[in-house]
Amino acid sequence: MSLTELLIGLAALVLAPFVGGFLRGVDRRVTARMQGRIGPPVRQPFYDFLKLWAKALSLPNKASLVWAWAYLLLTMVTVFMLFAGQDLLIIFFVLAFAAACLAFGAYSVRSPYAHIGAHRELLQILSYEPILLLTVVAIFLQTGTFMVSGVLEHGQPLLLTLPLAFVAVLVALGIKLRKSPFDISASEHAHQELVRGVYTEYSGRTLALIELAHWYQLVLILAFVALFWAQPLWAGVLLALGAYFLEFVVDNVTARLRWTWMLSISWGKGVGLVLLNIVLIQFVFSSARV
Amino acid sequence: MLSGESLVAVLVLLPVATAAASLAIKDERWRWLLIILPSGVLIAASLLLLAQVLENGPLTFTPSGPWDSLILIVELVLLAYFVYVGVARRHLLVLGLGATQLVLFALFKFAWLPSGFKVQPAFHIDLLAVIMCLVISVIGSLIVMYALNYMQSHERHLKLGATRQHVFFFYLVGFLGAMNGVVFANSLLWFLLFWGLTTLCCYHLIRHDLTDEAEQSGLRALWMNLVGGLALVTGMSLAYQASGSLSLLDLTGFGTVAPVMLLPLALFCFAGFTKAAQVPFQGWLLGAMVAPTPVSALLHSSTMVKAGVYLVLRLAPGYEGTYLSAGIAVFGAFVFMITSVLAISQNVSKRVLAYSTISSLGLIICCAGINTGLAIAAAIALIIYHAVVKGVLFLAVGIMEQSIHSRDIEDMEGLVTRLPALAGMAIIGMVVMLFVPFGVLFAKWAGLQAAAAAPTVWFSLVVTFLVVGSAAGIVFWVRWIGRLMSHTAAGAGAPEAAPPEAEPRGSLSYLVVAVLLAGGVVLSVLAAPLVSYLISPAGAAMGYNPALDTAGWHLKTPFGFFTPWVLFVVIGAALLLPTLLVRVRTEDIRPVYLCGEHRASTAGGPVFTSLGDQAVPLVTGGFYWSRAFGERSLNVWVNGAGIALLAALFVGVIV
Amino acid sequence: MGLISKARVKSPWIVHYCCSSCNGCDIEILACLTPYYDVERFGILNIGNPKHADLLVVTGPANRRGSRVLKNLYEQMPDPKLVMAVGACAATGGVFHNCYNILGGVDQAIPVDVYVPGCAARPEAIIDGVVLALDKLSKIK
Ligand code: SF4
Repeated sequence: MSLTELLIGLAALVLAPFVGGFLRGVDRRVTARMQGRIGPPVRQPFYDFLKLWAKALSLPNKASLVWAWAYLLLTMVTVFMLFAGQDLLIIFFVLAFAAACLAFGAYSVRSPYAHIGAHRELLQILSYEPILLLTVVAIFLQTGTFMVSGVLEHGQPLLLTLPLAFVAVLVALGIKLRKSPFDISASEHAHQELVRGVYTEYSGRTLALIELAHWYQLVLILAFVALFWAQPLWAGVLLALGAYFLEFVVDNVTARLRWTWMLSISWGKGVGLVLLNIVLIQFVFSSARV
Repeated sequence: MLSGESLVAVLVLLPVATAAASLAIKDERWRWLLIILPSGVLIAASLLLLAQVLENGPLTFTPSGPWDSLILIVELVLLAYFVYVGVARRHLLVLGLGATQLVLFALFKFAWLPSGFKVQPAFHIDLLAVIMCLVISVIGSLIVMYALNYMQSHERHLKLGATRQHVFFFYLVGFLGAMNGVVFANSLLWFLLFWGLTTLCCYHLIRHDLTDEAEQSGLRALWMNLVGGLALVTGMSLAYQASGSLSLLDLTGFGTVAPVMLLPLALFCFAGFTKAAQVPFQGWLLGAMVAPTPVSALLHSSTMVKAGVYLVLRLAPGYEGTYLSAGIAVFGAFVFMITSVLAISQNVSKRVLAYSTISSLGLIICCAGINTGLAIAAAIALIIYHAVVKGVLFLAVGIMEQSIHSRDIEDMEGLVTRLPALAGMAIIGMVVMLFVPFGVLFAKWAGLQAAAAAPTVWFSLVVTFLVVGSAAGIVFWVRWIGRLMSHTAAGAGAPEAAPPEAEPRGSLSYLVVAVLLAGGVVLSVLAAPLVSYLISPAGAAMGYNPALDTAGWHLKTPFGFFTPWVLFVVIGAALLLPTLLVRVRTEDIRPVYLCGEHRASTAGGPVFTSLGDQAVPLVTGGFYWSRAFGERSLNVWVNGAGIALLAALFVGVIV
Repeated sequence: MGLISKARVKSPWIVHYCCSSCNGCDIEILACLTPYYDVERFGILNIGNPKHADLLVVTGPANRRGSRVLKNLYEQMPDPKLVMAVGACAATGGVFHNCYNILGGVDQAIPVDVYVPGCAARPEAIIDGVVLALDKLSKIK
């Protein structure tokens, strides 16, 4: 890792919450507009965060707070690694650990709602993890490297040869951002049969930590989407924002559905699409395989 | 310093001698001495052997004396014994398979092989064999020591009249000798004997408790392993016909003879699959859990199933770049995926562990099939790490079972408060198994890279299986950890929670678990040196280019890169800092949300007001989604697909 | 006003508990969330979990059974927290006054910060009540 990479990674750690929080604010605003409402100001997520942070501590046990911290810190590690140009496989392995920490936090409390949420969180991991890892492999087939730094140097936009994988990543993006129809573990829009799923037992400061982790995760995932058009970088950013906007639309026109449906979509269609794309690379664009 | 030959003699014969002695000694105290001393010697001998081989290169020799005749006699007796078991237990499959094997072997040996046929050298001990020997001797010995404590309380629990421990330790310790023989042997005739001996020990250990279920499981293990034995004998005859040699070195293209045709190799690998309990032979390993826990631990972590993957791995240079190689990769990856998925539906801890073992072995086999330097390194690393961690988990589950009298994951809820030390070790063990930066994940990382760069058209299928399988792995491990962790903290004014049960933390069994766990963590931190001093040279000795660059303690492949110790520091900080720094006062503890119906919780946990104002204690449970991932709905497909893949393997090889 | 106070005022999350109302006031509360009134523009979210909420909105009078739950919910909310009693019933017992099972207004069970009168209370009045509550919230240090 070079010094510039280190600095970029650190800068990303500092800036990501602001970008992530801002994007969340945009999300709420745009969603409100789509529903014919005015919606909260764009800086609303920051108000929420500060308010939660300043609330009195109230916990079911110590473990849940520890796991919330671990969730945040591990997510930060992944953001740092991505922006410092590290190995994509390792980044997603650490991300899986982070996601598991959220589930651990919910499991550590003996609460029915948190447990159901944690189980569903696992199903979400089960759904998106193969898509992400397989996409990383598809990217490798195009660029010959698993390193983000190497992918960035790749001259050709990946989207041109990996269109199907990109579609699959959009599915994974929806699950990872907990958007309808995939918001089964936590009910983002206060559909309340699970209370708040994995977050039920968190409150105040712990909830703020999780919110912060989500901002980091948002940046991470969008940065990963941007890799599909890494040169020039602004095109990638536009691509990522476009994908994010698409998630708003899907979020607002769908209802949340059963986990079996989510799994069949992500394994059947998602993994299937990436696999198809890999086979295409192999046989149709075979010259492109390194 | 001892010569290599004598070290080998110690490693193979000392366990056998100890076993024989333990059969004779029934006194408890003497047994402890008898087991612990040779265990220490075994560990020391394996380390000395490592030093020798590192220094002088592979050790190749044929012991002088009438060993060949002895081996032949023992082999014939062994096969006859299998036939006898078939007759005595009225088990047609065992009888048929045993008899066929006996006849085939006798025909081959007496009618086909020229009399006085000798395979030179009888032993060939390269670095891979030494690594296996270390795994067997170190982890195996630790498990044997653990068994000392375990079997005491096991028999106390069963209220046996006369102790049967001497028989148990006879097979348990003898197993180690047989396993060492398997990994050292170069002569297939010798190999076959040791292979058969592991089958024998396994059979007897599984049926040790002599219940109906144990007998059934033992016989199932026996016939499935006899299928493998039969494949081995058939493969041997074919290999002899093709090449006129019965030396593993020749088979893998390192000897004087050109590589033989693929069919014998495929048969050998098939034998490896049966021993490694790959689909559709997973049944015997799942059934093996009826045995006392040290047996499961031994079978799963360091012996038996590892012999299967060892054989596949050992032969890898022989089938490099062939159809067989690709077939093995696809088969292994498929098993890796499907058994992980099946494990999601299991709520019996030992079954989860069994499925996860089969799945890890599938990954090792898949890596052998990918057959590049990187893949072989991943396979060897996985053998090491998996053995250590699976040892920890099985032994921990064994203690849990003896404390809570259940092997159901549901009953393990909240063990962190009931048995904190043990549950903590189990949780760390599972994390080591599952998450970066620990060794198993490093192997997965290398394996995934190798699969993505695999020189076969089927690589896309292999990669897909691998990613789906590893996602499924997260589900069942995390859920289990979650069940162990689930607990309620006592808030201010609430009654004190039930104090943790007294744990015998100083006992030998706790010590063994702790040592193994520490070993797993240390080996993970030292992944880079481990690769550069052991794994890469072992691959190189098999003829593979070292694919991992470990300069500066990084792990670097041509395509990827990470630094284990940096990741350790960072992730360790992310987990430990909050643990150490976060302070929570009891005033801040609130009861869990129960729609406002909670009452002041009792020592047993949260309570809520139910119908008729009754106070009902809260019960939580795990989901196992058995309708979606269960054996009942999937097994037909799983076994069908496994058989189809194997059939495709053989058809392709023959055509 | 400090940053934290401002954040508190800008982000009151409510949890709504129907004690034993006739559901008239509940409907009006839901009406506040519709695009017509859109209280989310003030950062108000109906969060449905006392552990996340800042503002407990109660409709209906306190009764003998429900007040236990009401107290439990109130205690599970982390500080700083406020309670708003919506409707005549919540304030005094309203039309249910003197029923055999009714204790009276919500303040018989838990401390109430803001009373919103009406039967049913109009959405405008409810929003007005929230603004009053926020005023009180901004004074909490
Ligand atoms: S105040 Fe009127 S509308 Fe509201 S709950 Fe009471 S009776 Fe119903």
